[in-house]
Amino acid sequence: MYGQETDPDYPTKLAEFEARIARGEKIEPGDWMPERYRKQLVRMISQHAHSEVVGMLPEGAWITRAPNLRRKQVLLAKVQDEAGHGQYLYHAAETLGATREEMLQALLTGQAKYSSIFNYPTVTWSDMGAIGWLVDGAAIMNQTMLAQCSYGPYSRAMVRICAEEGFHKKQGQEMIIQYAQGTPEQKAMAQDSINRFWWPTLMMFGPHDSASTNSDELTRWGIKTKSNDQLRQEFVNELVPLLHALGLEVPDPDLRYDEESGNWISGEINWNEFWQVVKGNGPMNAARLQARQEAHDNGRWVREALAAYAERDV
Amino acid sequence: MDTQWPRYEVFKQDRPGEPHESIGTVHAVDAEMALQNGRDLFARRPKCHSLWVARADAITSKTAEQLAAKELATDNSWQADIDPQAPTETYLVFQKQTERRGMTFTTHVGEVEASSPVHALQQAIAIFPAEQVFVWWVCPASAVTRSEEADTLPMFAPAQDKLYRLPNQYRTVFTMQKIKRGKDVIE
Ligand SMILES: [Fe+2]
Ligand SMILES: [Fe+2]
Repeated sequence: MYGQETDPDYPTKLAEFEARIARGEKIEPGDWMPERYRKQLVRMISQHAHSEVVGMLPEGAWITRAPNLRRKQVLLAKVQDEAGHGQYLYHAAETLGATREEMLQALLTGQAKYSSIFNYPTVTWSDMGAIGWLVDGAAIMNQTMLAQCSYGPYSRAMVRICAEEGFHKKQGQEMIIQYAQGTPEQKAMAQDSINRFWWPTLMMFGPHDSASTNSDELTRWGIKTKSNDQLRQEFVNELVPLLHALGLEVPDPDLRYDEESGNWISGEINWNEFWQVVKGNGPMNAARLQARQEAHDNGRWVREALAAYAERDV
Repeated sequence: MDTQWPRYEVFKQDRPGEPHESIGTVHAVDAEMALQNGRDLFARRPKCHSLWVARADAITSKTAEQLAAKELATDNSWQADIDPQAPTETYLVFQKQTERRGMTFTTHVGEVEASSPVHALQQAIAIFPAEQVFVWWVCPASAVTRSEEADTLPMFAPAQDKLYRLPNQYRTVFTMQKIKRGKDVIE
């Protein structure tokens, strides 16, 4: 069911497969698919799962420091959701023959990638607002696109995740709105969070289309239906007017409105910084992996106890 | 000792009277833990009345493409060899019924009596409406563990009060409109 290019029937089967996708049909576990489609999906889905899991860390660090009980409940619920998102996605990758152990191992040994945004530190409380509004907001744009993707299990996981992400984005936006209208100190705190998270959020969408290697195939196979630059532009267009309305600044001196296209045009992204973070040299890369490793090690006795319990006589 | 536990498919019923639908899997050492994990993973929000779990390897799945390819027809067990004398048991039948965007996969449509998974699949295709079915699942009823009526309250009621998990509890769009309008007046 995973088609190899050496198979003499491969071209015929590939044509049928691509026709199915063009008709908007979903590919389900058990259906024929090119090995390369399977590989690309495992890579994308597992990276995505790791991002959800590592993404718990920057916010988890603030649960005990939430300013009131409601904010604490909300943050706790959000972090718990991210754990769930990781699980939905590992499940989707498992339907393609990947195992959880393999994927977890790849994360812990640093072989697997996850979203570079989580390698930035969270230094003030309003970073929770900026993450919810900007980071989860950017993730929603990507995930709304992936909810349409041709692989059934991935698409369903994305629909479920998007439904939950709406809450993540709105609780963050609510916070920034409140602080922007609060005391001068609160407003300055919110501005500082936006200043630090704006550019890393734009980087989340990935390299420019001109520098993106996988795009053609992913588009043809109905996995990605919008390009990195397209999604990034949609995000900028949505956020800039809202931030301005709140009296907050976008930390981009070159930002300008283009009358003709109706787009807000950003200045150039610091791609050197992006690649440094991707390569593991971001401010928090080492700390994030260490925290994951510790959590894994500290959970070992629980896994062992449950495995022993499973072997009991019933 | 870090061997992963078996996978269980999880089926969720939103309200009494509605069918159970498959929503994903959990790993667990046994069915009881699978139900617990299924609750934590899939019932963090309101709208869950009952959960079922079944070991993923107890489920026989065929997609429309697999059936059309007559993959089963070349398999002896599909064509013949269904022994009319063989003892039967109850199988649950599930179908994927739509290609529309959604978060659930297969829907429980009923039961058949059969002597093997292949027999169950044959029966299911004969008995249930088979047009517009994209995936068929059959699973012995004996492999399914269900949350009980008495579990509904302790397992699923806590999520009911957590309204702050719902996006409609946040009035950000309205607030932003108000702020913008306020600005327009000043300018
Ligand atoms: Fe998430
Ligand atoms: Fe989120």
